[in-house]
Amino acid sequence: MAAASSSDSEGDRAESSEASSKWLDAHYDPMANIHTFSACLVLADLHGDGEYKLAVGDLGPSGRQPCLKVLKGPTVLAESALPALPAAAAAFLMGQHEPRTPALALASGPCVYVYKNLRPYFKFSLPQLPPNPLEQDLWNQAKEDQIDHLTLKEMLEGIREKAEVPLSVQSLRFLQLELSEMEAFVNQHKSKPIKRQAVITTMTTLKKNMADEDAMSCLVLGTENKELLVLDPEAFTILAKMSLPGVPVFLEVSGQFDVAFRLAAACRNGNIYILRRDCKRPKYCIELSTQPVGLVLAHKVLVVGSTQDNLHGFTHKGKRLWTVHMPAAILTMNLLEQRSRGLQAVMAGLANGEVRIYHDKALLNVIRTPDAVTSLCFGRYGREDNTLIVTTRGGGLIIKILKRTAVFAEGAGEVGPPPAQAMKLNVPRKTRLYVDQTLREREAGTAMHRTFQTDLYLLRLRAARAYVRALESSLNPVSATAREPLKLHAVVQGLGPTFKLTLHLQNTSTARPILGLLVCFLYNEVLYALPRAFFKVPLLVPGLNYPLETFVESLSDKGISDIIKVLVLREGQSAPLLSAHINMPVQPAQACGK
Amino acid sequence: MAEETLASLSVFFSPICSSHFVPWKLDAPFLSLPLRTQFSASAESQKPQLKKAPEFPILEKQNWLIHLHYIRKDYEACKAVIKEQLQETQGLCEYAIYVQALIFRLEGNIQESLELFQTCAVLSPQCADNLKQVARSLFLLGKHKAAIEVYSEAAKLNQKDWEICHNLGVCYIYLKQFNKAQDQLHNALHLNRHDLTYIMLGKIHLLEGDLDKAIEIYKKAVEFSPENTELLTTLGLLYLQLGIYQKAFEHLGNALTYDPTNYKAILAAGSMMQTHGDFDVALTKYRVVACAVPESPPLWNNIGMCFFGKKKYVAAISCLKRANYLAPFDWKILYNLGLVHLTMQQYASAFHFLSAAINFQPKMGELYMLLAVALTNLEDIENAKRAYAEAVRLDKCNPLVNLNYAVLLYNQGEKRAALTQYQEMEKKVNLLKDSSSLEFDSEMVEMAQKLGAALQVGEALVWTKPVKDPKSKHRSSSGSKAASVPQPLGSNQALGQAMSSAAAYRKLPSGAGGTSQLTKPPSLPLEPEPTEEAHPTEASAQIREK
Repeated sequence: MAAASSSDSEGDRAESSEASSKWLDAHYDPMANIHTFSACLVLADLHGDGEYKLAVGDLGPSGRQPCLKVLKGPTVLAESALPALPAAAAAFLMGQHEPRTPALALASGPCVYVYKNLRPYFKFSLPQLPPNPLEQDLWNQAKEDQIDHLTLKEMLEGIREKAEVPLSVQSLRFLQLELSEMEAFVNQHKSKPIKRQAVITTMTTLKKNMADEDAMSCLVLGTENKELLVLDPEAFTILAKMSLPGVPVFLEVSGQFDVAFRLAAACRNGNIYILRRDCKRPKYCIELSTQPVGLVLAHKVLVVGSTQDNLHGFTHKGKRLWTVHMPAAILTMNLLEQRSRGLQAVMAGLANGEVRIYHDKALLNVIRTPDAVTSLCFGRYGREDNTLIVTTRGGGLIIKILKRTAVFAEGAGEVGPPPAQAMKLNVPRKTRLYVDQTLREREAGTAMHRTFQTDLYLLRLRAARAYVRALESSLNPVSATAREPLKLHAVVQGLGPTFKLTLHLQNTSTARPILGLLVCFLYNEVLYALPRAFFKVPLLVPGLNYPLETFVESLSDKGISDIIKVLVLREGQSAPLLSAHINMPVQPAQACGK
Repeated sequence: MAEETLASLSVFFSPICSSHFVPWKLDAPFLSLPLRTQFSASAESQKPQLKKAPEFPILEKQNWLIHLHYIRKDYEACKAVIKEQLQETQGLCEYAIYVQALIFRLEGNIQESLELFQTCAVLSPQCADNLKQVARSLFLLGKHKAAIEVYSEAAKLNQKDWEICHNLGVCYIYLKQFNKAQDQLHNALHLNRHDLTYIMLGKIHLLEGDLDKAIEIYKKAVEFSPENTELLTTLGLLYLQLGIYQKAFEHLGNALTYDPTNYKAILAAGSMMQTHGDFDVALTKYRVVACAVPESPPLWNNIGMCFFGKKKYVAAISCLKRANYLAPFDWKILYNLGLVHLTMQQYASAFHFLSAAINFQPKMGELYMLLAVALTNLEDIENAKRAYAEAVRLDKCNPLVNLNYAVLLYNQGEKRAALTQYQEMEKKVNLLKDSSSLEFDSEMVEMAQKLGAALQVGEALVWTKPVKDPKSKHRSSSGSKAASVPQPLGSNQALGQAMSSAAAYRKLPSGAGGTSQLTKPPSLPLEPEPTEEAHPTEASAQIREK
């Protein structure tokens, strides 16, 4: 809370002094209908004409109508439906042939769809995963009817308990079935080979053998079965396969595949693994203890956003360098690279509609958007080198151009004393009356004290007397006698003229039941009528609460209410054990009528 | 190379012609109208169904989407995808159930989340993560023993997980098995170092009352993560508790460098400034807190005592009363209120605040002494004496209590009893002198000398330094006393002593001794909760949600 308010205003300062002069508002369309993630935004010269386009893997308004949109300037150039939701998009050069037009790759489900010149060019499917051999065996037996369904089920369950390789969907579904459904299911599916299919969760590109801007790149895929695959850009063969301890969510790569590279994968288990060329297993591991929401590599510093609203900086060996707290939840992150000035900064889109730009831990700039930011992308768009693409939660699209003169100065958002320090303390004021009373107390303090003490004693005395009187005449609802420890409590329900009076009687002794009690009502017979004014109480078992109900009819229509006295008596004794006075409610209908 | 490429091309182009790829190819004209593409899309979705028996959907098809929605805290969207996915897979998608359970837990439906996690554990029994989550839900439900069992089970599946060790340690803390807890937490640190583990280890030492060990742990923690303000603040507070002010201030200052709005660090640093009389600086710092946590009782208490130090008594009372309103059961605030009212000569009010304070804290000699001062001024000598008697009984090291009692007794003409108290006071003073080099309040020394003269115990001065000539003080002369004209009760001197005792009280428990300044307030910067006097850092070290 504190941090939020202070850094808000700190952001204000950064914004008011500079932001207005840094960015040109090129385009804002709140109804652009683009719903996507940063991973699905790509800026690329898709036609090879020097005019950079924006390719968007769009999930559709409710995540149901996935499509690929290509934007040129503010307008949608092309739109085409996709068979499944896109998980990631990337532009890469497939070969060294001229013209050097980058291809567009869209990862979706188990496939990568490759477009060239915006035309479908190739579809790469992840290879099938090897099925569990035991499972395969079982189904083969089932196919030849050598095994009955219950045994099959038991064996499959055994595999599920222990095996390293998980079961196929077919077996899992089978395990869910009732006995009666098994037969049909086995007959329908036994002839099919059992399949296990992986899904792509994330994708990025890695330069193949040259660091140049327009060099060939490999696609790097992260899959649901905790693997990383590197694809050859020309032949689409799998060049390398690495396994991870978790399912990758975000990938960051640096280097070249043929020379040396470093791969950072943020995984669903909250860890970030760093791999290098020539190792099949992660070299370093960063344990975040929260979920990462973004991963960006800027100037060799790995910047991670966490669900606890922090940005952390790590070295490539996994050593933590710094932590910055954000004023709101981080929704997305991406890299801002201003090549002309050699600047690499990290952009973080926040739930409060801010885009914050950090160079290491120094805040460079804050951009306000009207809604929560869902994706960010910075790069060359159209013919403009430094363009920022922002999409917002409602489907809005914002395009901003960084002025060519703009320089991000470090320390722009740096802190002095927090602004709250300049605010006056809200000390409660005292009135004239208070001051007068203070003076009076100074003059006559002793007398006041004595009067107070005397009154206090009198009050205590009266209270004690009243208590004794109540005990003596059994007016209290808790009986004090040792033989009949009882508790009584009465409730009146209803609006009248008929009320329901419920007495809750409880025997508070630990073991002894009470027998032979009577309840008697005393009331004004002109005002009220009760069906029974006197009845016996059943045996009271210790600890239980006995509700005794009776109806009370109000006879007067003058809106008068009276007290009904309840007495609990022991048979043969005239002095009551307990008594309660019930204030009967005034009938509202009559009261209104008057 | 070229040849190879060609060969591979021929191979890899083939899938385009396969039946799988046909539907995608249908909408090949990229510039087609949206209408047409939609048509082709629907055609595609129908086609496989016509061809053969339904394929099984891929269970994990949308796991990535569920995860993305989940980490962006877009729980509504996340639930929608989960529902869809579960319907499609007939409840077999483990990850969807897992995230649903996580969301339930975030929403506070821990029981439901527990059941779902158990379902996950059934779907894939080999996964330590599911067991960890089951254990976590059990932990949140307060079933620590059950949680330990499940964590131990998970530990069998995954030996090297710091999280399991850490959480086992936390469970043991709740079961008060500190040794086991320490073992587990050290294991966790061994596997991977995390701030949270250090905090929990420190907490164990604090719960055991071992400040030195706790400081050791926090030192290591700060070394490991030097920018963690929580660690810095806690370490600062611990040093403060031990009276190592230099280091305390250093760490608190560091914490404030990284987070200038850190509530606890500001309060602690402010209280230290107050102790040194920098009331204005402290007040400026408090402004930040007042903005961030406007309803903090310790804050308003400290602000009140700042004003008291600046002799703005009305403002002091205002602030203290607000503090008292916010925390009516905090005896320290009541103590301060009593003290300020004594200063304002509002003895009747002071009496009420002090007696309220005594009701909450019946074991403190100074409180009874202040009450006695109030009663003396209210001319209730009988009760004042009883209060002094109680104060003397409870107090072990504050000479003021005896001195004030002696003054009262002397004024009442009970010289012998006064003498006893005077000697008692001398004992305490000697004790304090041995143990520390603190100076005594000059006003108190002066008073004691006067009383000594009046009681004719000679010039057996016990004070460390020669004090100013009593006669230079315009207020009272020793002559008036020597002439056995009893000093008017409730003189400002008695009051002055009362206040300096108040200043001293913060240090007395550690056996330090009286202090020199009249206006030093007792401040309680350490704990937001008044009950946690002994463990100021407890609040900070509570187990936090991960």
